[in-house]
Amino acid sequence: MSKKHPIRTGHPDVRPDAPSHVKGVKEGNSRGNYGKQEGHLPDGRSTARRSTGINPRKHDPIDPDMPNLSPA
Amino acid sequence: MTTRTAGAKQSAGEPRELVEMSWDPITRIIGNLGIYTKIDFNNREVVECKSTSSLFRGYSVFMKGKDPRDAHFITSRICGICGDNHAVCSIYAQNMAYGVKPPPLAEWIINLGEAAEYMFDHTLFQDNLVFVDYCEQMVKETNPGLLRRAETTEAPNAGLHGFRTIADIMRAFNPFSGAVYKEALHVSRVTREMCCLMEGRHVHPSTLYPGGVGTVATPQVFTDYLVRLLRVLDFLKKAVPMNDDLFDFFYEALPGYEEVGRRRVMLGCWGSFQDPAAVDYDYRNMNEWGRRMFVTPGIVLDGELLTTDLVDINLGIRILLGSSYYDDWQAEETFVTHDPLGNPVDQRHPWNQTTLPKPQKRDLEHGNYSWVMSPRWYDRRTGDHLALDTGGGPLARLWSTALAGLVDTGTVRATGHSVEINLPKSGSLPEMRLEWKVPRWANTIERNRARAYFVAYAAAMAVHFLEQALGEVRAGRTQVFSDFDVPDEAIGCGFHEAVRGVLSHHMVIRDGKIANYHPYPPTPWNASPRDMYGTPGPYEDAVQGLPIFEENGPDSFKGIDIMRTVRSFDPCLPCGVHMYLGGGKELKQMHSPTFGASLGG
Repeated sequence: MSKKHPIRTGHPDVRPDAPSHVKGVKEGNSRGNYGKQEGHLPDGRSTARRSTGINPRKHDPIDPDMPNLSPA
Repeated sequence: MTTRTAGAKQSAGEPRELVEMSWDPITRIIGNLGIYTKIDFNNREVVECKSTSSLFRGYSVFMKGKDPRDAHFITSRICGICGDNHAVCSIYAQNMAYGVKPPPLAEWIINLGEAAEYMFDHTLFQDNLVFVDYCEQMVKETNPGLLRRAETTEAPNAGLHGFRTIADIMRAFNPFSGAVYKEALHVSRVTREMCCLMEGRHVHPSTLYPGGVGTVATPQVFTDYLVRLLRVLDFLKKAVPMNDDLFDFFYEALPGYEEVGRRRVMLGCWGSFQDPAAVDYDYRNMNEWGRRMFVTPGIVLDGELLTTDLVDINLGIRILLGSSYYDDWQAEETFVTHDPLGNPVDQRHPWNQTTLPKPQKRDLEHGNYSWVMSPRWYDRRTGDHLALDTGGGPLARLWSTALAGLVDTGTVRATGHSVEINLPKSGSLPEMRLEWKVPRWANTIERNRARAYFVAYAAAMAVHFLEQALGEVRAGRTQVFSDFDVPDEAIGCGFHEAVRGVLSHHMVIRDGKIANYHPYPPTPWNASPRDMYGTPGPYEDAVQGLPIFEENGPDSFKGIDIMRTVRSFDPCLPCGVHMYLGGGKELKQMHSPTFGASLGG
């Protein structure tokens, strides 16, 4: 806002930073979370466990040389 | 450069009749651009032009205090047509601030989404909005003589696109009924689907984040994209030669048309399509990874490539006032005194800008007349504040990429003086090589011609990105997201190309929240008013001194040459043009060489 000619506005009933992060609340993007996700391997590959929790190993490729491309 | 007060064809001292003509609103999704001109019909020339915006957005005001991770979702809403460009640019700025490098597959997915966006938006704009100014109906109303000539002029590339004469091409542009108009609508739908496949949604992507993407990279997603791309290639292989035929005809049939919309070659391109092998989003390496982008960033001045260094580009940005409704922020807080390389950062740089809106009455003659500020690029060599334009986006991108000669993917090769585009075999047409050559002028026709070529460029790039992405998937490397923590204090900047030109986002984080955020899209550069040095913005500069080729007189004047010029810059999406014409208000300007001479006696 201009200090000399402020725009007339109403009284705010919420602070502008209200939707920002509250310290202490866990963030999904935090470092280390990748390792906690099922089916995501440390080298960047993934397994069928990424897509399903029901008999995931049966959905992995039959040949270990094939890339493991689980369905979306 | 200052305001022109006399036309090129006018001799000093000659009285002239000026007619005020205005087009307001012209442009953008909310229709907030107005062009105010003074035209000398006797000399067939536009004498003065001012571009004004009556809308204040205030993103830089209300972004303060927000969670920085929300920045791309919020700033995407800046535009209703290229919102994903803003999202991506914001993500680049956030990646720098958080110090995170997304996995390669995520970068390929973003590149594919952005390539689809360029194809979508340029096709929609060129064929459904620009070509209305060149269609049979319009040309019949503005230049009937030109249409008669078009009827008898054979199209040199008729064998490729199927239209025998230039008039046939113009007929195909007629809105709602022409073949090209209708086909383009279909193509823009298909290309939009391609964008959705990669970015989840269009135009406000739902699966793009700092650190990567949420798109699940299955082979199916990429083959769905490829199927659509091959259909678009068929369209492109006809569209580019058709564009060439039309624009070459204008040069040939209207000698001097190259002067329409011509301005000094002062083009800016901030680069597009990151190379995952190079980019680490570290400011200190920005020069290296910037030069590896698949559209080379650069500033072209008088046909010469001034720089390709994104650090130089960044530090040279100055936001000037002069005719805008804001108070100066020179005395306000300095957020960033030095960049991470130790270079001083100017108070007029977006990192240090504080937006102080000051609403007031518009004064086109002697005061402030626009909510748009005046972004300029400071040329250290000469001390000039250059009013760069984007050439509508494609002209600057192709020009900068061509001169830099750095891009070579097989599908696209920059030669130093041109860009070669190799399109593979598609549904019904064989492979084709196109070559965009650096033009002699930066004018209305070349801005439009470059747009057609850039659609082909984006398509050829998409072919390369698809091969790379599928290579990652076939190797099983399906990771598309990297973890990051939001630091308490950080700065970031993102450089990207919105469809219609340069796009930068500058962010300062303090206490884990946004302390300062300034997006600079292309239209503020192009539509800027006169700055504190009196330098007109690019629209104003391009329209001032414009020769008029329209055959209509003042009473039925459509301003087609002015409209073509303003639209050649792709002033975002011109959703409606309303002309306030009437008879035009006549201004009489008398010149009295000596006091009392006109009294006669």
